[in-house]
Amino acid sequence: MRRHRAALAGAFLLVVLLVLPLAGLGAYWTYILAIGFYYAILSSSWSLLVGYVGRISFAHAAFAGLGAYTSALASTGLGWPIALTIPLGVVVAALVGLVIGRLCLDLHGAYLGLTTIAFSEILRIAITAEYDVTRGSLGLAAPLLFTGDSRLPHYYTLLAALLAALGLMWLVLRSRIGLFFNAIREDEEAAASVGVRVARWKLVAFTLSSALAGLAGGLYAHVLQLVAPSMMSIGEMGFILSMAVIGGFHNIFYAALGGILLEVVLEALRQIGEWRLTLFGLVVIVILRYSPNGVFGTLARGLGLERGPR
Amino acid sequence: MSTVALGEQVLNGLIIGAFYALAALGLSIIFGVLKIVNFAHGELYMVGGFAYYVVAGALGLAPPLALIAAFVLLFLLGMAIEWLLIRPMHEGKVERPDEYAIMITFGLAILLQNLMLSVFGPWTRRPPALFRGRVEVGELVVSGDRLAAAALGGLLIALLVYLLRATLAGKAIRAVSQDRETAAVVGIDDRLVGMLAFGLGSALAGAAGALMGPVFLVYPTMGVIPVIKAYVVVVLGGLGSVPGAILGALLLGQVENLATVLIPDTTRAVAYKDAYGLVLLVLVLLLRPQGLFGERTRSL
Repeated sequence: MRRHRAALAGAFLLVVLLVLPLAGLGAYWTYILAIGFYYAILSSSWSLLVGYVGRISFAHAAFAGLGAYTSALASTGLGWPIALTIPLGVVVAALVGLVIGRLCLDLHGAYLGLTTIAFSEILRIAITAEYDVTRGSLGLAAPLLFTGDSRLPHYYTLLAALLAALGLMWLVLRSRIGLFFNAIREDEEAAASVGVRVARWKLVAFTLSSALAGLAGGLYAHVLQLVAPSMMSIGEMGFILSMAVIGGFHNIFYAALGGILLEVVLEALRQIGEWRLTLFGLVVIVILRYSPNGVFGTLARGLGLERGPR
Repeated sequence: MSTVALGEQVLNGLIIGAFYALAALGLSIIFGVLKIVNFAHGELYMVGGFAYYVVAGALGLAPPLALIAAFVLLFLLGMAIEWLLIRPMHEGKVERPDEYAIMITFGLAILLQNLMLSVFGPWTRRPPALFRGRVEVGELVVSGDRLAAAALGGLLIALLVYLLRATLAGKAIRAVSQDRETAAVVGIDDRLVGMLAFGLGSALAGAAGALMGPVFLVYPTMGVIPVIKAYVVVVLGGLGSVPGAILGALLLGQVENLATVLIPDTTRAVAYKDAYGLVLLVLVLLLRPQGLFGERTRSL
């Protein structure tokens, strides 16, 4: 019954998102929602790592940047079609994720946080410094995903990418692998003692999460038409964390909704300037301290869509 | 390279090293007592810089007074943060305390950075220097504000090490660092010590920000790079080790300055200046996670 209601709520939301741009939502807000989908892919794939495997990475924005720069460089520099360069960005992000994961997933807690911050900053510094290739902090121009006046193809492409990412993560999480993730999060040594291949599944989670960030970044580059090192900054990482925490980082769907919600609120509150980010920081702290299930986790529980404390 | 140029770089490295030590010591004390990495340390450093700027620049008080004001203000702020956000973790009021600690301090960093951005805007500001002019040491010429700031920083570090060794509060901090429960058994108020440690750590970050403000300017994101240096330093020296943090800081100061001089392509060497320490950090974490001077049992 609960499952039914949750599925119904999800289907309703999906229909609303599908119809909105056709039902008179202006070009501006259609664009904002599309950017919201980009952030939703990032926040949900970040929560895959944090909420399910219990590993906190601060390199997620860097992986998005990796996907974006790969795709932008391959399409402008090598002249490849975007249909090839975005998947190439996914592959590069996944491979780098695999290597970084292999090197540092044995580290615990704060040490992993420190290593991923270091990696992320090294990448940002290198991209800023290699001006000849990347045009440094000026940013690199990227061709538009779909030329033409209408913004609608961009909106639906990003929505489709978000749905595909969520679907893939959901399939993984409801399989045995999801149980392995949970076992690793609860107690790594106990999981290993009953035969869970801890190292392998941690690596799978990190690589999948990085690949999805690369996908989001690649699409973003060709919607924004500009890739700059600022998209890999620690501030941007803080933004992704805020979205996942405010939405609810224990669930990929809530984290995704958090991404869309924050991007929309961010635009709606434009007139209060930087204070809106201050507000987000405050909300993140209050939620972490008093309501760690996030806005949508708490809401779902209140509406009876989800069981009580897990 | 000539001896004078080399000496200049070594002296510069020493000055930078003193700054790094000041920022890293606070991080190390907080980790030692509370067993958390404070991801908001750079923002406390930044708030210290702004406190100094407001008191010395806008209010026009004497720079030494502004330095003390920044220290005291950040001490109080740190104690409040511990009381509101960190203490519940040690009282079992929070699920998954390890992840909570990382995210809550990172969230605090976002909050403080954007708060200062909202209040002061993104522009850089130069607060009045502690000491103007140049100092000549033999053939070497150093700018006075840097030297004065580094000397004061060194003095503060020496004072701190003395306090940790000789006073009751210092001994309590060291006892809780070694074993929180045993310390509580022998009658040390571990909650008070936790608060004191976070306050002291924040105050040191604030003092570092106030000292470096006139040299490297004050702006809302000024803490991002120095705090990463502080992470490098504490990881180099072993998290929670005070002598390790001091040695790590001096080492990092030398590595950065000498690498910049020794790499032939100058523009590139300067552009990558902030990356050397990070590479060092990754290497240490992967090869010797307990740090160069830390004990294996202390690693997480």
